[in-house]
Amino acid sequence: MTFLQPWVLAALPLVALPLIIHLINQRRFQTVQWAAMMFLISARALSRGYSRLRHWLIMALRMLAVAAVILAVGRPLSRGWLALAGGGRPDSAVVILDRSPSMQALDAAGGGSKLDTGRRQTVESLTTLRPGRCLLVAAATRGPEEVADPAAIVELPSAGPSAASADIPAMLQSAYDFLRENAAGTSEIWIVSDQRASDWRPEDGAWGNLRDAFAKLPQQVRFQLLAYPAAAAGNVAVRVGSARLEQRGRDRSLVVTVSVTRADDPSRVTLPLKFEIGGVTTSVDLELTGREAVLKNHVIPLGSAAPPRGFGRVSIPADADPADNEFFFVYDEPAPRRALVVADDSSARRVLELVAGIAPEKDVPATVDTVTAGGLATAAWDEAAVLLWQAPLPTGRDAELVEAFVARGGQVVFFPPESPGDAAFAGVSWGSWTTHPKPVAPESWRTDQDLLANTLSGGALPLGELEIRRSCGLKGEHVALASLPGGAAFIARAAGAGGVCFCTTTPSARDSSLASEGIVLYALVQRAVDRGRAVLGAARQLDAGPGAAELAASAASWSRLAGPEAAPSTEAGLHAGVFAAGERLFAVNRPATEDVSAIVADDRIDALFRGLSFSRTTGRAGDGESIVQEIWRAFLIAMLLAIIGEGLLSMPRRREAEQASRGFPSVEAAA
Amino acid sequence: MPSRPSGSFLDQHTSRMFTDRQPRAFLDPTVLARLAAVPLVARRPMVGTVSGRHASPHRGSSVEFAEYRKYVPGDDLRRLDWRAFGRSDRHYVKEYEADTNLRLCLVLDTSGSMNFGSGAVTKIDCARRIAGALGYLASQQGDAVGISCVADGIVRTLPPRRSPAHLRLVFDVLDEARPAGPTRLPEVLHELAETTRQRAVVVIISDLFCPPADLAGAFSHLRFRRHDVAVFHLLDPQELAFTFTRPTRFLDMEGGAAIFADPVDIADRYHRAVEKYLDDLRRIVLESAVDYHRMLTDEPYEQVLARFLVGRAVARGLR
Repeated sequence: MTFLQPWVLAALPLVALPLIIHLINQRRFQTVQWAAMMFLISARALSRGYSRLRHWLIMALRMLAVAAVILAVGRPLSRGWLALAGGGRPDSAVVILDRSPSMQALDAAGGGSKLDTGRRQTVESLTTLRPGRCLLVAAATRGPEEVADPAAIVELPSAGPSAASADIPAMLQSAYDFLRENAAGTSEIWIVSDQRASDWRPEDGAWGNLRDAFAKLPQQVRFQLLAYPAAAAGNVAVRVGSARLEQRGRDRSLVVTVSVTRADDPSRVTLPLKFEIGGVTTSVDLELTGREAVLKNHVIPLGSAAPPRGFGRVSIPADADPADNEFFFVYDEPAPRRALVVADDSSARRVLELVAGIAPEKDVPATVDTVTAGGLATAAWDEAAVLLWQAPLPTGRDAELVEAFVARGGQVVFFPPESPGDAAFAGVSWGSWTTHPKPVAPESWRTDQDLLANTLSGGALPLGELEIRRSCGLKGEHVALASLPGGAAFIARAAGAGGVCFCTTTPSARDSSLASEGIVLYALVQRAVDRGRAVLGAARQLDAGPGAAELAASAASWSRLAGPEAAPSTEAGLHAGVFAAGERLFAVNRPATEDVSAIVADDRIDALFRGLSFSRTTGRAGDGESIVQEIWRAFLIAMLLAIIGEGLLSMPRRREAEQASRGFPSVEAAA
Repeated sequence: MPSRPSGSFLDQHTSRMFTDRQPRAFLDPTVLARLAAVPLVARRPMVGTVSGRHASPHRGSSVEFAEYRKYVPGDDLRRLDWRAFGRSDRHYVKEYEADTNLRLCLVLDTSGSMNFGSGAVTKIDCARRIAGALGYLASQQGDAVGISCVADGIVRTLPPRRSPAHLRLVFDVLDEARPAGPTRLPEVLHELAETTRQRAVVVIISDLFCPPADLAGAFSHLRFRRHDVAVFHLLDPQELAFTFTRPTRFLDMEGGAAIFADPVDIADRYHRAVEKYLDDLRRIVLESAVDYHRMLTDEPYEQVLARFLVGRAVARGLR
């Protein structure tokens, strides 16, 4: 329980006042000469149970009445079922607002979205608490934004819905930086979220650092989570997997792959998918029987006069979460599939040239440039999509070139050289070679995403059929995409550098069967090419978030072509839509994780805040109740009840009263 | 001493009460004058030594016809009913009831508890007034009056005598009675029942602070000895109401251990104990046919005595 005037609680020892008065009265006794001792002796011998109980009940009720008065004057606050232990009016309150698309799920009764409800309940609570300062952290890309009045949070454009996932650890870091730099006093951090794993990132190593950092702050910091974890029933999300332009004779067509997903698995439904391209709307029905359905390579004729570059939108009928009912896409003539190969081993080089040079699309030629280590400076970096590197890790000027390539979105796949050396790239370096006595095959790999994901038809890549005869260890922070028996990485991505992959063996026949069982290597390389090529074209699909925001900020002009108009310009890259920056088109949509993200369990979240003052209040979208309420009236009622109870118990019983007033019955008549 | 109204009857009585000019604080002539209108009668036949106004178990020469009896040789021929002989040709003797005097034994409780009084009057003051008035009334109608002061035993006793001089001795005993010590009233009553040979009216004036069961035995003993038992039960109003409010240390007036109690805590149980005691006592006096009269010390004793005398007179039948 929290009190607005906690200093009044210093008067709580007055609760003992009735007891003290009772003890003083006990000591102030009188002495009388008494004749009827036999009645006193009998009275003492009679059962004292009820009398003693009544005596102590009266005492307890008196103490309760005093306590209720003191607590009522302290202006207690109710925080729902989960109350914080103690505390008063905070000096500062930081509101961390999860504005991710999943927070826009609506209440079935039409009571508003989770975001609306969370904002309203937070504003009501802070209006009651009246903190000295109130700050809003609405995005990880911005620092805390001070608001003069908590009520303004509801009106702020920056507190509105967003298409980006909320990076809760980063937002907490932002709040921490503010508290540390401003030496704020007692602080409360209110987190409004639906506990999605994509927002909370419970596996993020930053949580441990945050816990330690908050625990070391000199001021008291309390965390209050307003959680709305209930999933939106019957919600369906639509997403465009790919949109590519095809030239068929003189006509152009758009080939679109659309997937719809849902969290629950109710009955079969038929969804009308509505495509809007260039002001022309077409519709196609898609039958959804399970959790996911894919409309693969749907052809939308554009005609011969259609420009080679454009954008569109696909939408489904409104449901519980309006944020995932539409998806924007852009298309353009395909970018060239150019790969750079740097390889010391000739056999490996040959294999890499082959897998990079065979294009999966017949209309798009694939080009492979084999570069020697000394010729990197003159390589066609601006046109390359992928760099395949089987040589000692680059250093010096070469490393700078590769880093710049990665920074602009290029993909790099490193293969181990014969002499690994000590050089590191993106924090990862090669270890030593291990020769396996018997060929081994990768034991596990990520099939849901990234370079080794299952095919569109759902089939897994045949990694289990590979034979790895020799592998090189990895040092540094990396995330394994495939692992060998014993846990060693087979293919790994450098932590913190998204476009850098490491394959711990070479395609040389001496080291592995990557060449002979070429499907895996081919898929790996071509997927990397696709990723790298995606940033080369004039039309790009972007996930809303810090990356898109950075791109929008760096662009000379960033204008909206389609999408919600309410998005403020300061939040470019965080809202869905189609944007133009010069000659380039960008379709910004919610990240894929928003469609499938699981809920982080309560105990897992408790563990994230272990050692800190943390409490959770679980609500639901459209909840009309306030989280924090002043409840002094309840204490006054309790005091009144205590006084009434004390009065009733203190009143003499009817028989006693009658006897005291009329005397005891006479026996003269009978005698 | 309040001034006494003049009048022949009152003057006659006051002259008897104060023959030695010694004032008796417990006697009020006006009250005695009013009470003298109702005679003190026994509820049971008395065996007296002289003729009086009380019924006797023997036949005598009063004007009250009792029965016919067959003539036997030796009977006084003057008592033969010739009219009955004329009607029935049989000889009958006509018999009349005998009248005799009574012996009034006053039993005064002088234990320590009798000294209690929450107001201006203590229980021993009330007892003196009742005993003095009854003694005077009995002596006035020619009955013998005796007194026994009892506490943990018989403290002092005077056997019943009829003379006015003896009444002064009784009054002296009343004057000199000082409450002290514990009560052993049941044992003392047993002793009196054994030592009082002739039938008597035994008037017990006490607060009866002893177990009712013990009293029942004593009353039955007195009844068994054919005594007419009357009890004046004296109680102080505070002993019933128990209106203390502060924690109190109660000192036993009969020398027992003191008790510390918070009246707020104990009052309820005290009242229950009193109620149970009075219920038990009521049952006992009903079973023992004791003439029981409860009196509060703030109650006018004249009313209690009037009720006592009238009740007896009505039960006996005035002659």
